[in-house]
Amino acid sequence: MSFLQPWMLFALPLIALPVIIHLINQRRYRTIKWAAMMFLLTANRMSRGYARIRQWLILAARTLAIAGLLFAVSRPLASGWMRLAGGSVDTTIVIMDRSPSMRETGANGGASKLEMGRDQIVDSLKLLGSNRWLLIDGRDGDPVEVESPDALASLVSAEGVGASSDLPAMLQTAYEYVRDQRPSRTDVWICSDVRRHDWAPGSGRWQAVRDAFLALPQPVRFHLLAFPDVATANRSVRITDVRRAETSSGAELRLALRVEQAGGSDGKSTVPVQIEVDGARSEIPVEISGTTGEVKNHAIPLDGRTQGWGKVSIPADANAADNEFYFVYQKPAARKTLVVAEDPEAVRPLAIAAAVSPEPSTESAVETIGPDQIAGVAWEEISLVLWQAELPQGEAADRMRSFLSRSGKAIFFPPASPAGGEFAGLRWGNWRATELERPVTGWTRDQDLLAGTRGGSALPVGDLEIARHCELVGEQASLATLAGGAPLLCKPAVFADDAAADAMAAASNAYFCATTASPTDSSLARGGVVLYVMVQRALTAGAAGLETARRFDAGAAPAASTAEWQLLAGSEDAVPSEYPIRAGVYRHGAKLYAVNRGELEDRTATVGDAQVAGLFNRLAFDRVDGSAGGGSALLSEVWRLFLAAMVAALLIEAALCLPRKMVPAAGSAASFFPGTPVREAAA
Amino acid sequence: MAADPRSRDFLDPHALARLSAVPLFARRPMLGNVSGIHASPHRGASVEFAEYRKYVPGDDLRRLDWRAFGRSDRYYVKEFEADTNLRCCLVLDTSGSMEFGSTGVTKIEYARRLAGSLAYIAVQQGDAVGLACVAEKIVRTVPPKRTPSHLRGLYDVLEQARPKGGTRLVSRLHELAETIRQRALVVIISDLFVDPAGLKKAFEHLKFRKHDVAAFHLLDPLELGFRFQRPMRFLDMEGGPAIFAEPSDIADRYQKALQAYLEEMKAVTLASAVDYHRVSIDEDFEKVLLRFLAARARAGRRG
Repeated sequence: MSFLQPWMLFALPLIALPVIIHLINQRRYRTIKWAAMMFLLTANRMSRGYARIRQWLILAARTLAIAGLLFAVSRPLASGWMRLAGGSVDTTIVIMDRSPSMRETGANGGASKLEMGRDQIVDSLKLLGSNRWLLIDGRDGDPVEVESPDALASLVSAEGVGASSDLPAMLQTAYEYVRDQRPSRTDVWICSDVRRHDWAPGSGRWQAVRDAFLALPQPVRFHLLAFPDVATANRSVRITDVRRAETSSGAELRLALRVEQAGGSDGKSTVPVQIEVDGARSEIPVEISGTTGEVKNHAIPLDGRTQGWGKVSIPADANAADNEFYFVYQKPAARKTLVVAEDPEAVRPLAIAAAVSPEPSTESAVETIGPDQIAGVAWEEISLVLWQAELPQGEAADRMRSFLSRSGKAIFFPPASPAGGEFAGLRWGNWRATELERPVTGWTRDQDLLAGTRGGSALPVGDLEIARHCELVGEQASLATLAGGAPLLCKPAVFADDAAADAMAAASNAYFCATTASPTDSSLARGGVVLYVMVQRALTAGAAGLETARRFDAGAAPAASTAEWQLLAGSEDAVPSEYPIRAGVYRHGAKLYAVNRGELEDRTATVGDAQVAGLFNRLAFDRVDGSAGGGSALLSEVWRLFLAAMVAALLIEAALCLPRKMVPAAGSAASFFPGTPVREAAA
Repeated sequence: MAADPRSRDFLDPHALARLSAVPLFARRPMLGNVSGIHASPHRGASVEFAEYRKYVPGDDLRRLDWRAFGRSDRYYVKEFEADTNLRCCLVLDTSGSMEFGSTGVTKIEYARRLAGSLAYIAVQQGDAVGLACVAEKIVRTVPPKRTPSHLRGLYDVLEQARPKGGTRLVSRLHELAETIRQRALVVIISDLFVDPAGLKKAFEHLKFRKHDVAAFHLLDPLELGFRFQRPMRFLDMEGGPAIFAEPSDIADRYQKALQAYLEEMKAVTLASAVDYHRVSIDEDFEKVLLRFLAARARAGRRG
């Protein structure tokens, strides 16, 4: 319970005033000798219970009247469902979920969830007041300080962004601010549609951030303005695949797209999907059966262009953010692998794994060289480097770092006799024999090179037989671990705080495999699956770095390259700093980038109320559910309510205090006076 | 010990002089022992013709109406009304409740004025006056006498009467009904804070004994209005339990009880043919008595 003038509540003991006055009045009685006791006794016997109840009701009404007055002048605030919120706050942090799903409107149109939430929070903050307001909307790491709630409204545009929100990360940002700035009391307002992919309720980060907030000495309160409702009639469109293919007549674009309906439909329905490619528009009907309608290999002839962009769109519905999807295309680049080895025969399995393309239409080329031939390599054509030799040093290391920094991929295998050279903070140690036959104890199954298949099956990494492995010295992030804790596959660990851009690129694009594909060292070549998948995934990722037309999920583009982007298609209101998180097509030199919402944004699953409450367990947390298109204020002053209660209490008190209706005058005792003699009945 | 005559402040000579002009009549025949102004149940020698009666042997021949004999050839005796005096018995309630008074005068003081004035008027017209002070028992009695000197003793008793104790008025009235000789004027001066049903039986007992019963019901304005501004602790003047009450809370119920009582009292007195006068003690006693006497005079003329 909070009030704009909470100090007025110190006067609350005054509500005892009527009782005290009553008691004092009781003690101020007068004693009188009375003759007509028989009437008093009769009156006392009549309705004694009612009189007592009436007395208590009068006292209660008076007490309520004073309480109502005090509460009214304390200016109480009411939020949804009459819960009270607010109070004197030093710092207010607003966490806005600006993900595409927040642009959903109500069934009858009107304002979107984002607009509603923004306006309601701004109105509430105007009422509450605070010394400082900060906005965390996921654009960058730091909270943005604003001068007033109105400035907050102008900062949060109604269009939102294309990127998903990372609520645990946003809360972590809020925590770090509170920890560093030490405000006396902080209110954290969260506006979100509690989508599961934004909140990631299963993430261990929640526990960490909750414990961190609990450990803070200063009070932090959380207010969640949630919009959990999902517009069932909303449809979304998404390009699942786009390829430029050569045909006998020239070239054509082959599109695969998917239209999804949130709530599904009983029968079949058809949605017109408009396709725009390099300014040329066409429309195709897509039949939705259940929740999904798909079109595969829809061919659109191209006029010989090797690169271009386009978009697909569906008619307007509840959420405008998922009605468009941008794409770019180009002539596929060759997937070229450079194998650097002291002994070419020893790396033959690696070369074979790189040479066999998973798609027949894609060319794959492998070049095997020795470490001394590095100088003559055309690095700009290379997608993947498989390095089984002494780690690159000197000029070779510089070339390798340059290669990695432009998103090329490299996998380092240990040489036969490590000489101790270091690259990316790691160096090979000594060879060790592995005691177990299948020593792999764990690996990262959800991402990176050893992730499971699209079908959900795990790679048979655990079946690998490792005869010996080479130790790795240095900070590393392991992707697969051997018994005893030694890494089988890892990446250099570089801390973001002090790392240069090159080192960061090396950390994200370089892999170290602690054994070789040689039959004497491991079963990588004999089993083949793990090695092949690993190499092909690295090759695909490396080739993507070479492509001049790339597609990113919003927020996933490499930050270093986004400064010089130019908008080709998308929201005109977007500022350049927001390009990587706003859906659209952008040009950077000769390259084209398509930025779209992530695939998870099309999923409508929300986090349950109990689960949300559990995420804020033991924290001061309250929640108000809003609805898109609703017009009610989140927070409002309710002093009028208390004033009305006071007036009502006074009226009740007055009614109770009114003398009860006397006997009609004609029959009243007073009417007998002055007395006239009662005549004799007989007379 | 006789009281100092100068202290008889319940007597107002001017008021008595004015009231003396109006005689005190009985509403029914009285049995006196001397001639007076009141009708007697017996035939007498007054100038007021009563009736003709057939002559029976032994009648005084001087009372034969010869003119009637001449007209009808029958013997008739002409009879005349007998005029007599009355015995007025004043019954004064001296229970504790009679000490109450909120207007500067108590009920007992007011009762003294009424009783003293009535006694004076009665003696002045030759009637006998007696007094009975009653509370839980008959406290004092003064037998009816008609001599002016008798007034002195009666006034002494009146002056010495002090309200005290509870009320057993009903029992005392039954007792007086038996002890007072028949056909007297019984004037009850009391606040009548007793059960009306019991009082009704007492009145009927008095009526059965052929008494002419009059009652002055004395009530204080505060008892009638019951207007208090603060909580009160009411002490029973007749020794009952005290009651603590918020007057504003119980005023309505008090009024209801009072009204019911007064209605019942009215019904009782009507049924018992009691000459009932309800008196608020802030009223001028002279007017009350004048109203009482005038009403009786009118009733006497009609009779």
